[in-house]
Amino acid sequence: MPVADDIQSSWADEVEIDQGALPPPSEVVENGLKIVTEYKYDNDNKKVKIVRTYKIEKRVVSKSIAKRKTWSKFGDSANDKPGPNPATTNVSEDVYMQFITSKEESQRPDDGELDGLKPQTSSVIFKCRTCQGDHWTLSCPFMHSQLAQAKASEAAKAAEAKAPATNKYVTPFMREGGAGRGAGREPPGARRDDVAAIRISNLSNCAVEADLDDLVKGFGPVQKLYLAKEKSTGRCKGFAYVHFKFRADAAKAIQTLNGYGYDHLILNVEWSKPPQNN
Amino acid sequence: MKPLMLQGHERAITQIKYNREGDLLFSAAKDSKPNVWWSLNGERLGTFNGHGGVVWCLDVDWQTINLITGGGDSSCRLWDLETGKNIATIKTNSSVRTCNFSFSAYQAAYTTDKAMGHPCEVFIIDTRTIDDSISTQSPILKWEITDSKVTSMVWGTLDETIITGHETGDLIQWDLRTGKKVHSIKEHTHQINDMQLSRDGTMFITASKDQTAKLFDTSSLELLKEYKTERPVNSAALSPILDHVVLGGGQDAMEVTTTSTRQGKFDARFFHLVFEEEFGRVKGHFGPINSLAFHPDGKSYASGGEDGYVRVQSFDQSYFDYTFDYNRD
Repeated sequence: MPVADDIQSSWADEVEIDQGALPPPSEVVENGLKIVTEYKYDNDNKKVKIVRTYKIEKRVVSKSIAKRKTWSKFGDSANDKPGPNPATTNVSEDVYMQFITSKEESQRPDDGELDGLKPQTSSVIFKCRTCQGDHWTLSCPFMHSQLAQAKASEAAKAAEAKAPATNKYVTPFMREGGAGRGAGREPPGARRDDVAAIRISNLSNCAVEADLDDLVKGFGPVQKLYLAKEKSTGRCKGFAYVHFKFRADAAKAIQTLNGYGYDHLILNVEWSKPPQNN
Repeated sequence: MKPLMLQGHERAITQIKYNREGDLLFSAAKDSKPNVWWSLNGERLGTFNGHGGVVWCLDVDWQTINLITGGGDSSCRLWDLETGKNIATIKTNSSVRTCNFSFSAYQAAYTTDKAMGHPCEVFIIDTRTIDDSISTQSPILKWEITDSKVTSMVWGTLDETIITGHETGDLIQWDLRTGKKVHSIKEHTHQINDMQLSRDGTMFITASKDQTAKLFDTSSLELLKEYKTERPVNSAALSPILDHVVLGGGQDAMEVTTTSTRQGKFDARFFHLVFEEEFGRVKGHFGPINSLAFHPDGKSYASGGEDGYVRVQSFDQSYFDYTFDYNRD
């Protein structure tokens, strides 16, 4: 028969006591290291074990320093044990010196009071894909116009032109000032009328004059527009001639529209050739 | 290197100093207890309990026997370093702003604020024997400064002069035999927060609220160099081994909320002594740095900030390897 006195506390109480008590802190000194282990509760009321490892060093110093090292602690530290007290002395995270080159320093603008709050107007990190402007592609004002395409290619060209010449081999045909066949070269014996005319082929059958007008009006004033049609059905034959007022506009149009995807077809645009048989 | 964080103070640090050999680091703060630490491992040796308010300044003699502190409780106190006992207390009329032992520690100087109807005064006391008689003994020399308050002070060459830095930016050199002005210059436009001598005492550097630190010749007060920043400079120290200067500062505590919180404002900034150009920064404090000190061996430095921490930072090898690029032409 168990005696009532033997039961000192219920198991439930014991568990609670266990949770409340923390293991005592310990301090071990072994082969030049002092290891201090402590337990405490963190902010979430969880038990945390803290292990601090100190390296014990021996240094040779002058007599006066050695003598001072024997002084006992006083004031608020009178009860501290030998070695740093973690309550007052801590090792913080690594901090490294950041070296500044003198050039950076002199070129850096004067630190404004509210530097960080200014919107980044000067150094835009994004660029419109359509027109290379300082806005998102989605909000591009030229989004639906072909003019934008022209602009983009112009910008790209400008960038290319700026790029320093590489020492890669370039065929004579491609060289700057070389005989760029076709484009840019006036066809011999061209009639005055044809100077700014272009031929657009591989148009879809469904294309109508209005579509064509839409396509080219962005490049400049158009003088004449001819869409070849099948006489019987009235549908597009697949090519058209456009006479621009200015040759430059025509050249731009060729550059932009040649290879341009329109109505699931890829357009082929070139200078209109004079009739061969005359 | 991982810096040591010394958390012995409850309030902003006002001044930190190493002793001559560099094994001890002293710190004073706006709480009433100056601390002393072993600089090697950051262990606290003790606190000097006795002041009744903010402690503005402290200094240790060259033999590391005594400490002198001055505070806002209108007292200047002398302490025994081995035991931390308060040996003597000199009562003053207003708070003590600066105090320094002379090089020989035969004398000490302290200055009081212009406050409570009392003028700003400079006192020179005899400290050859330090016991409680100092509390009652009258100063060797004292004089009033009528125009502006003294905010920092160093001893000149051979203990013959002292140099005071003023609230208005003036620097005045005083002859200790007569108590008269020898030189007076005004190179700063605002308060001079700190003055520190070079290792050999031939030059000293001033840190001013006008956002510059300047290097002067100790005997002639000739302006030698100028280090410009874009924030008030609270403290400046000269490296004992290299041609380097470290500057610490930041906005006043009252202005912190009205300006951007960029961390960079609280960096310790390293300048080349001769070329006056900044070459490095060390982060750490989250408030302005109030006091800086180089370890006498030049291999570490300590900074005390408005955040109440003292950080002891040892230099990495990269600091010693760094060379300043310049044209020899």
